[in-house]
Amino acid sequence: MTRPHDNRSALVTVTAEAVVAPARWHPPGPGTGDDGSALLPGCGGVAVGVHMGDEVGRWLGDHLMPGAAIEDRADGQPGPGPVHMLACLGNRVRAATGDLLGVVAGKRGGLAPGFLPPSLLAVEAPDERLERICPGERVMVETVGRGLQLTDHPRICLSNLSPALLDLLPVQEQGRGLAVGVMAWLPPWAAGSGIGQDAWIGDLDIAEENALTGQALRYGDLVAFQDIDSSAGRFRRPGYVSIGLMCHGPGTEDGHGPGACILISGPADELAAVPGPASLGPQLAELAARS
Amino acid sequence: MPVATEPLTNATSLVRTRLVGVVSPASANAVVSPTGLAEVLPGQGGVLTSVQLGDAATGWCSDHLEVGASVRHAEPAADQALQVLACVGNRAVVLDGPGAATRGIVAGKHGGLLVAFPSKVLALVGPGDRVAVEAFGAGLRLTGEDSVVLHSCDPALLGWLLDGTEPDGRLRVRIAAIFGREAAGAGLGMSASRFNLDLDPVLARDPVTGAAADLRLGDVVAVADQDHRYGRRFRAGWLAVGVLCHGRSAAGGHGVGMATLLTAPADRLSLAGDAAANLQSFWAAAAA
Repeated sequence: MTRPHDNRSALVTVTAEAVVAPARWHPPGPGTGDDGSALLPGCGGVAVGVHMGDEVGRWLGDHLMPGAAIEDRADGQPGPGPVHMLACLGNRVRAATGDLLGVVAGKRGGLAPGFLPPSLLAVEAPDERLERICPGERVMVETVGRGLQLTDHPRICLSNLSPALLDLLPVQEQGRGLAVGVMAWLPPWAAGSGIGQDAWIGDLDIAEENALTGQALRYGDLVAFQDIDSSAGRFRRPGYVSIGLMCHGPGTEDGHGPGACILISGPADELAAVPGPASLGPQLAELAARS
Repeated sequence: MPVATEPLTNATSLVRTRLVGVVSPASANAVVSPTGLAEVLPGQGGVLTSVQLGDAATGWCSDHLEVGASVRHAEPAADQALQVLACVGNRAVVLDGPGAATRGIVAGKHGGLLVAFPSKVLALVGPGDRVAVEAFGAGLRLTGEDSVVLHSCDPALLGWLLDGTEPDGRLRVRIAAIFGREAAGAGLGMSASRFNLDLDPVLARDPVTGAAADLRLGDVVAVADQDHRYGRRFRAGWLAVGVLCHGRSAAGGHGVGMATLLTAPADRLSLAGDAAANLQSFWAAAAA
């Protein structure tokens, strides 16, 4: 088992300021053809008790992410600022006191360019730390991961992936390419909201849950989108694959669903998604508890 | 043989509302193509004078080019009303500037409401000019067809769009092209009564010949396996029908834009290939 080489020695770590996001109420969107479109929490605030490794359908939420939701400090409804664009999953987050809070474990963002808010990051952290923080508090994110590349695989594009999380990713060299373990393999028409958006902004929704054939995904599970490339925006490109980490729960509206933050994408002949028990949920929770 | 009948609707109960918006300024869009190349191209907004309804939808050096003038309102709630209440096919008129009193029709929805004007007077219309729209069609339903849901569709346009019924009762809808289910891109998850759905033009077929479709702005098109009753979403066995109103983007995931007009289970519709299924034909017929 050989792991790929990378350029992490050249990456810089930049501390960026963020703020714990308030819970926000957005006006009703398109609604749904299914019954019982309930009004549910999920946008902003601190979700104590919701963690990486939980089933994404366990909670009655709307696009619910684990732990604390943080965002760029900006006037009014923030779009994706430097924290959103630089932060990577696995980056450490410090509370205002300087104590470690947890690690970045997900992203949520607008549907498409021009539809940007909310631009949230999820911070996975132990409950005893989550219980002590409030919306409006300042936090510091030790951002590192922009520029990360696999030295021997220039056609493979990494996004939102810190070196620490790359070390946990179930990836190995296989022939001339790479094999990455995934829990689910999704057809291109299962990809919903998030198509056409920058891969570093938010996530890609699984809008056709029938594609999961009853499989219950957990926060942190790796999933592969067939025929989607995320090298320059997320878009349909036959022969490519995008692999992401499940970071938010189901949405209540049509065209939305549980979402994955894309970590790695490339041509399928060089990047093989291998079905198996592939989840980073427990490791991210452990990383957060350790940090 | 299809039976030609005027569709029965609730149009006599619908309210006609006069709305006003302002022609948006032009945009220079910085876009990154799937190859990673960054380009700055003419984007949405402004008044598109060189390309009209009926012209090719693809092949232009532009990013999301919009038919005619792009009309918005500065107040967010009024802008939303303009977006939701105005319907494709509604009549519009320029209120200001040298183009005042020019008549046009609503041709689609994007970030702004897209209004087409006759080519010979387009040059007289500019950003900042007010445009009034006779909004008519929100709430439109086909009598006895609860499974067919309409959006942004002027009642007169509906009459032109539907071409009678098949002997088995299915509604005949004239279309110029059909897109495969994998064509749907940006716009998924958004409200079907606003904005539009971007479609990969590579996946468009001529419904008669099955060959690659020659897409034109204003074409009435259908998309397989899309349910647009509420938000735009994939649903096997459904169809969405709409009108092409913006060009494609250099960015991946963004294609030609289809403003939704109608959605239904596929077994309620009979798609009839018709090269004249373009908003330009409706406009010409309505003006005659």
